[in-house]
Amino acid sequence: MAALFLAAARPGLSHHLLLPEWTRQSGAVDDVLRHDLEQHSPPGGAVILHANHWRLTLPELQALRQRLQRQGLTLIGVECRNTETLVAAAALGVTASAGADLTPTTPPVATASSSPAEPSPQPVIPPDPLTIHRGTLRSGDHLQVEGSLLVLGDVNPGARASAAGHVLVWGRLRGIAHAGCLGDGSARIVALELRPLQLRIAAAVARGPSDPPPAGLSEEARLVDGVIRIDPAQATWPLGLA
Amino acid sequence: MSRTILICSGKGGVGKTTLTANLGIALAKQGASTAVLDADFGLRNLDLLLGLENRIVYTAQEVLAESCRLEQALVKHKQEPKLSLLPAGNPRMLEWLTPDDMKKIVGMLEERFEFVLIDCPAGIEDGFKNAAAAAKEALVVTTPEVSAVRDADRVIGLLQTRDIQPIQLVLNRVRPKMMVNQEMLAVSDVTDILALPLVGLVLEDEQVIVSTNRGEPLTLNGSRSPAGLAYTNVARRLRGEDVPIIDPSKESQGFRARLSRLMQTKIF
Repeated sequence: MAALFLAAARPGLSHHLLLPEWTRQSGAVDDVLRHDLEQHSPPGGAVILHANHWRLTLPELQALRQRLQRQGLTLIGVECRNTETLVAAAALGVTASAGADLTPTTPPVATASSSPAEPSPQPVIPPDPLTIHRGTLRSGDHLQVEGSLLVLGDVNPGARASAAGHVLVWGRLRGIAHAGCLGDGSARIVALELRPLQLRIAAAVARGPSDPPPAGLSEEARLVDGVIRIDPAQATWPLGLA
Repeated sequence: MSRTILICSGKGGVGKTTLTANLGIALAKQGASTAVLDADFGLRNLDLLLGLENRIVYTAQEVLAESCRLEQALVKHKQEPKLSLLPAGNPRMLEWLTPDDMKKIVGMLEERFEFVLIDCPAGIEDGFKNAAAAAKEALVVTTPEVSAVRDADRVIGLLQTRDIQPIQLVLNRVRPKMMVNQEMLAVSDVTDILALPLVGLVLEDEQVIVSTNRGEPLTLNGSRSPAGLAYTNVARRLRGEDVPIIDPSKESQGFRARLSRLMQTKIF
């Protein structure tokens, strides 16, 4: 399958570069793009890359940006569903977004439960899309997603995790977390060990508590009367069940 | 199979170059042919630490320009001929090196040496990107200070996006007494945040300053100084030997005990 280059409808808008659907057989992204970009001679301008499930490392993204640059194209944004690509794009300094229709980051697999006789069912849109990031967010990393974010790992000092919905950390939260970053005041921040530098929920900002949290107790931060409050975590899953 | 190891830290002054020099000597002494590549050519001083400053004639720059052969640019160590130094460039020419140059030169070194150690400059800008371009694995050096740990964490993140594996940790300049009194980050504080396997724990040691000024790494003369032993042990662990890591809390007692023993021998 080939990548798709959609030229801007009129000057001033950005072009869009759509990578083909990622499969296990997909080779390096550079090989995929070499053909397609050489066939086109698009007018220069800004490009937004739609990487979908592709896992792109920082050097790969760098090479891709250079390839585009040689054709007079500037990479300004990356939309993808893979959190590692998101982090790499953010590290490169281009706008990284998880796209509006964000679903879990694992590539789609045929579910065993759907019986073969059934016609292909309509995709069920989960009530609150969840992005799962596996691994630690390290100093300088910034992961921002449009739904809720579940980090399976630590958020280290100097790292930032933001989500339009909840921020859930299965690990130690020692950096900055921003839940409800588009203004949702009901968003929560939950961590197995809540020891942040700073907490933000919607427009409220609070410094993390200076005392270490009680050992072995997961906690959550909520917005109560415009003030961020930390309580022992509730035993309920904050998201709707997909 | 040759191993190319990047030695980096993010923050400056935590002991990258000292580790590179001592590790290079220790590996060579243990019989492994080793090259050390000074990628910090703007402020190069790996040659000083190895006592080879006055022997440098060519650099990697001339090798790539094909104005000399690699053998001519490699500086063999006086006492440890299995160790060679290759300076990446001249301090006055700051702009020449690209990641591709780096891959080319490291590729040439890999054909000849079992270990290629790359001394990375401080920071995460172009110098770091060049140095990291050709590395397969990495040693991250840090000290038990908040700023050094933070910078190390950033560097580890960048290394991981480059698929450099394995990344191992060397904790440098540990003062056991301060750790016991909780005036310094504990070893577990550092390993908790960085989440990397610890390949060496080096105690703060005045002998390091002496050896730096002399241009004779501690590992060269089989010094029994704590830092020298620790560097030798890092080399042994890198070569796959199972050497237990020292426990700094016991080490502080050990110091006091050793000191009192020393006093006693003097008195009697």
